[in-house]
Amino acid sequence: MTGARALLRRTQAAPLGLCAGAVITAGFIAMALLSFVWTPYDIVNFDIANRLRPPSFAHWMGTDHLGRDVLSMVMAGARGSIAVAVLAVGMGLAVGVPMGLFAAARGGFADEAAMRLSDFIFAFPALILAILLTAVLGPGAANAVIAIGVFNIPVFARVTRGAARALWTREYVLAARVAGKGAFRISLEHILPNIANIVIVQATIQFSLGVIAEAGLSYVGLGAQPPAASWGRMLAESQTMIAFAPWLALFPGLAIFLAVLGLNLLGDGLRDALDPKLAGRR
Amino acid sequence: MLVTTAGIPSPSPYPSPRWGEGTSSRCVATVRRTLSVSLQVLFVTCALFLHTLALANAQSNGGVLTVGVQLEPPGLDPTAGAAAAIDEIVYANVFEGLARIGPDGAVRPGLAERWDVSEDGRRYTFHLRKNATFHDGTAFDADDVVFSLTRARAEGSLNAQKALFEPIESVTALDPYTVEVRLSRPVGAFLTHLAWGDAVIVAPESAGTNATAPVGTGPFRFSRWRKGDAVELRRYDGYWGDAAPLDGVTFKFISDPTAAFAALMAGDVDGFPNYPAPENLAQFDADARFNLVTGAGEGEMILAVNNKAPPFNDVRVRRALSHAIDKQAVIDGALFGYGAPIGSHFPPHHPSYTDLTGLYPHDPDRARALLAEAGQEGGVTATLKLPPPSYARRSGEIIAAQLRAVGVDVTIENLEWAQWLDQVFTNKNYDLTIVAHTEPLDIDIYARDGYYFQYADEEFNALIAELSETRDAAGRDRLLKRAQEKIAVDAVNVFLAQGPKTAVWSTRVSGVWTNAPLQANDFTAARLKGGGAAEASRRAGSWGAVLWVLCLGGLVYGAYVLVRRGGATYLAQRLVAFAATLAAASVVIFLLTEIAPGDPATFMMGLNATPDAVAALKAELGLDAPAVQRYAAWAGGLFTGDFGTSYTYRTPVADLLAERLQVSLPLAVMALILSVVIAIPAGAFAAARRGRGADAAILGASQAGLAVPNFWLAILLVMVFATGLRWFSAGGFPGWDAGILPALKALFLPAVALAAPQAAILTRVTRSAVLETLGEDYIRTARAKGLSEGAVIARHALKNALIPVLTILGLQFAFLLAGAVIIENVFYLPGLGRLVFQAVLQRDLIVVQSVVMVLVFAVVLAAFLVDIAYGLADPRLRKGRTA
Repeated sequence: MTGARALLRRTQAAPLGLCAGAVITAGFIAMALLSFVWTPYDIVNFDIANRLRPPSFAHWMGTDHLGRDVLSMVMAGARGSIAVAVLAVGMGLAVGVPMGLFAAARGGFADEAAMRLSDFIFAFPALILAILLTAVLGPGAANAVIAIGVFNIPVFARVTRGAARALWTREYVLAARVAGKGAFRISLEHILPNIANIVIVQATIQFSLGVIAEAGLSYVGLGAQPPAASWGRMLAESQTMIAFAPWLALFPGLAIFLAVLGLNLLGDGLRDALDPKLAGRR
Repeated sequence: MLVTTAGIPSPSPYPSPRWGEGTSSRCVATVRRTLSVSLQVLFVTCALFLHTLALANAQSNGGVLTVGVQLEPPGLDPTAGAAAAIDEIVYANVFEGLARIGPDGAVRPGLAERWDVSEDGRRYTFHLRKNATFHDGTAFDADDVVFSLTRARAEGSLNAQKALFEPIESVTALDPYTVEVRLSRPVGAFLTHLAWGDAVIVAPESAGTNATAPVGTGPFRFSRWRKGDAVELRRYDGYWGDAAPLDGVTFKFISDPTAAFAALMAGDVDGFPNYPAPENLAQFDADARFNLVTGAGEGEMILAVNNKAPPFNDVRVRRALSHAIDKQAVIDGALFGYGAPIGSHFPPHHPSYTDLTGLYPHDPDRARALLAEAGQEGGVTATLKLPPPSYARRSGEIIAAQLRAVGVDVTIENLEWAQWLDQVFTNKNYDLTIVAHTEPLDIDIYARDGYYFQYADEEFNALIAELSETRDAAGRDRLLKRAQEKIAVDAVNVFLAQGPKTAVWSTRVSGVWTNAPLQANDFTAARLKGGGAAEASRRAGSWGAVLWVLCLGGLVYGAYVLVRRGGATYLAQRLVAFAATLAAASVVIFLLTEIAPGDPATFMMGLNATPDAVAALKAELGLDAPAVQRYAAWAGGLFTGDFGTSYTYRTPVADLLAERLQVSLPLAVMALILSVVIAIPAGAFAAARRGRGADAAILGASQAGLAVPNFWLAILLVMVFATGLRWFSAGGFPGWDAGILPALKALFLPAVALAAPQAAILTRVTRSAVLETLGEDYIRTARAKGLSEGAVIARHALKNALIPVLTILGLQFAFLLAGAVIIENVFYLPGLGRLVFQAVLQRDLIVVQSVVMVLVFAVVLAAFLVDIAYGLADPRLRKGRTA
C-alpha cells in the first residue's frame, strides 16, 4: 500500500487547513459579535452627502449609494449570514438526527419511510422551492432559515442513519441490548456519542452551504430585510454601480467567499482529524 | 447556491456498493453503460432541439429597432388588462383609437380624422378615416367602432378602465364612416379618455385573440412574441398614414437594472425609453455612444398612507410624516438627483400645476410636536411595504431612518408586485408604502371608492365630480388647483418627487418621444442609422410530447434490461417509489401554490382595474373552480402531456417549457461539459501528484471554486469580458436560428459561472476516486509490468474511477437544469429557471406547478436511473435491501 506514507502526509497537511479554517471562521464569528456592540459607523446612518466614496482611512471599504459605511455593513452582514446558517443547521440537526437514529434503530418500514421522505425532499429543486416558500411565507430571515433548514433535514437524517446502522452490529451495542437497554437508551447512550464526529463534520459543511444559500436568497431579495445588513442584498444593490463603485460589489462578495472558504477548510480539516480513514477523500 | 445543498453528494441516498471494493469489472461496465445511455438520451434530446429549429429570418433595410422595456405584459390586448406594459408596446404602434395623444400631451385625431361636439357636450360625431385597414386585411369602418365601444362597457367586460365608458349612453353608426356617441352627461375629458390605450379600436374578427396575436390598424403589425424575452413588430405596409421608416421594432424585456445596463453597453438594445437605474444615467450622459434624454414624466412618487389605519387617520400624524421626511435627500439618494420636488399629486409641467412644495418643509421638531399634539408622544409603530423597483426600495430605507428619527418606528417589508397588489392595493393591509403613479392626470384616484389610500373625503369627491362635468378651460384649471391644494392640506400622502422620463438611446436612434404624456412608446416616426442591434428570430413548436417520449424511452430501456437480469421485484419496488414520489410531489406543489397569497387575475389587471374586471378574468381563467377540481384537471393533464394554459401568457405551458428548454438544456449540457473538461484531468492529475505542489494547488483552486458564490462570479465575468473587454455579449440569447456559434457564444459566460462550483466538486470526487482505485491489485499489477505512472492513471485508474464521477454527473445534471435561476437572471437568458422565477412573482401558478413538476421529474428520473444502474450492477440489491 501507498497508504502509510500518504496517510502520514495527509495528517501533516491536515492541521494547516484546519488551523486556517478555524482562524477564518473564528474571525467571522468575532466580527459578527463585535458588530452587535460596535461598528465604525451606524449602519442606518444615511449620509447622502458622502455617498459613493471610495475606500479611504475614514471609510476603509468606502461608502455605498446611500452614504452608509461599507465596512460596518459587511460586519453587520456577518451577523445575519451566520445566524441564518446556524439556525438552519440547528433545524437540520434537531429533526434530522432523531429521524436518522430512529430509522437506524427500528429498521424495516420506519427506515424505509424515513429514507423515502429524505429522497422526496431532495427531489425538489432547492432554490426554486425556497423561492416558492418565501412567496408563501413572505421574505425575511426567519423564513430563509426554514427554506434552507428544510433541506438540511434529509442530509442529517441520512448521515446519522448510515453511521448509526453500522454501529448497531457492534459488540458493545449487542452487549447493551443483552443488558436489557431499550432502543431509545442505546441510541442516546451508545450510538449518538460514537457518531458525533461525523455529525459535527457534516454540520460544518452544511454551515458553509447555508452561508452561500443565505447569500443567494438575499441576492434575489428573499433574505433578511432592511435595515438589517445582508451580504447578498449588498451585492444585488451594487451591481449597477460596479463600473464606478467596484468596491461595493467587491467587499461583500469577498466576505461570502472567505467565510465559505474558512468553513470548508474547517470542515475538511475536522473530517481528516476526526476520521483518519476518510482523510483526503474530498 | 442552494442547489448545491442537494447537489453535493453527502453520503449517497442510494444503496451504494462501496466503490473500488467489491465491484467486479462486469458490473462496472454495466453501470457505466446504463449511465451513459441516460446521458445519451439527454444529449439526443438536445440535438433534436437544435436540429429541428427553422431558419426564418426577416431581412431589413430601414433597420429593426431593439428597445428595452422593464416589464413583460401578461397579454397584448390593451382593452383587456390595464398593465401599462401593454400600452408601452402596442399603443400607437399596433393599435389606434379614434383620438390619440401626441408627444406634447394634446389630443390629436387618430382613426377619426375630425369630430364635432354638440353644444351641451353630450353628443360627439366622429368622421372616420376611409383608407384605414386592420393588419389582417379587413377594412376599418363604423361597425368596428360600434363594436369596440360597446364591448368595452358591456357586462363582463375585461376592460380595466370600464368606468371611462360608463357615461356612454349609445354608440350608433350613422353611415360606414360616421359614428355618433351620446353621453348620459357631459364629460370634460371624454376625448382624452378615447385617446387612452383602453379605448383603441379592435375588429370583431380578431378581438378574441388580441391578447396573444394583436390585430390593429397601426403602422406596425404584430409578428411574434418570444415569451420571457421579446415581442417583435414589423412595419405594416397597408398603413393609412405615412409608412414608418423602421422595418420593425423589437421590444426586449429586461427588468433587472444590471441587465439593462449591460444590454445597452453591449449594444444588445438600441435604447430604453424608461431606463430603470438612475445611478447609471451620468455614465450614459458622458458616453459619446449614447444620448440621455430626460423629459417630463407623469410618475408622481408618493409615500402612500393608509388614511383609515390609526394613528394615520389623524391628519396631524400625516402632517408630521410630511414634515419628518427630507424630500431632497430622497431625490438625491434614491433617484440620484433625477427628480423634481412636488407638493401634491400633480406634475409640475402641467399648465394647471400649483406649487405646494413649501407646505411641509423638512422639520423634524415640528413633526415631533405634531405627533405629541396628536397624543402620540409615546411613539408610533408602522409597517412600510415596498414594491420591487429600486426607487421604492432605496427611498424606503432613507424614509424609514428619517421617520425613526422623529419617533415613528418603521418596519420595512419588501414585497413582490403580486404580494404588493394583494396586501396593499387590494386588501389595504398596510400603513405606509412607496409607489410611483404613472398614469397621466390621475388626481381623481383620490376620489375613488375603496382606493387603497382610503381617503374618502366628501368635499374632494364633490370637487372631482364637478371637474368631470366641467368643459371650459378656466373652470377646469380652477378646480384642478383646488383639488391639488385639498389633498396637500389634508396630507393624504407624502408627495415625494416627480420622476422624470429618463430615456437612454443609442446616438443612431432619432425621432423618439422626449416627454411621456402617457406610458407609451410611439415609434411611428423613429429612425435608425445603419441597422439595429443584434436581431434574430426563433420558432417554437409543441415539444411536450417529444419530451415525454424521450423520457419514457430511457425508462423503458433500463427497465427492460433489469427485468431480463431477473430484478423484477427490485424494479417493482423502485417503480412504486418513483410513482409515489411524483404523486406526493404533485400534491405538495399544488398545495404550496394554492396557499401562496396573491392571485394571477389581480396581477394581470394592474393598478387601476375595477373589481368587476378582475372577477370576470378569474371566471375566464377558471380560477373560480374548487381547488380539488383544479388539481384533478392539472394532474390528469400531466399524463397526456397537457400541462394546462399559462394564465399570464395564454399559451400552452408545454410550449413555454419547450421554448425555455432550448436555452436551459444546452446551458446545462455546456456547463456539464465544461466542468468535466476541467475537473477530470485536474482531479486525475492531482491524484497522480498527491501530496505534492500540484495537488495542493489543484485542491486549493477547488476550495476556491466551492467558496465563490456563482452569481458573484457571474457579475465579475460580465464586467470583465462583456462590458470591459467586449469579447462576449453581456446577456440575452439570440436564438438558435441566428446560428449555432452566436447561440453558443451567448451561453458561454453563464455556463462558466454555472460550471465553476460543479467543476470544483467534480475535481475532488475524481481525485478521491482515482486515489481509491490506486490501491487496487490490478494497479499494482500494471505498475509491476512496468507501465509508467501516467499510463497507469490514464488507462487503468481513471477508467475505473469514472463510475462515481458519472453518478454524480447524472444527478447534478437535473439540478443544473433548475439551478440556473440566478445565473439566468444575471444574463437575462430566457431559460427554465427564469420562467419559474417570474411565474412565482406573477402568480402564474399553473406554470409554477408544471415547471417544478418537470424539474422534480427530472431529478427523480435521474435517481431512478441510478437506482436501476445499481440494481444491474449489484445482484444483492435485486433480491432485497441488504446494502
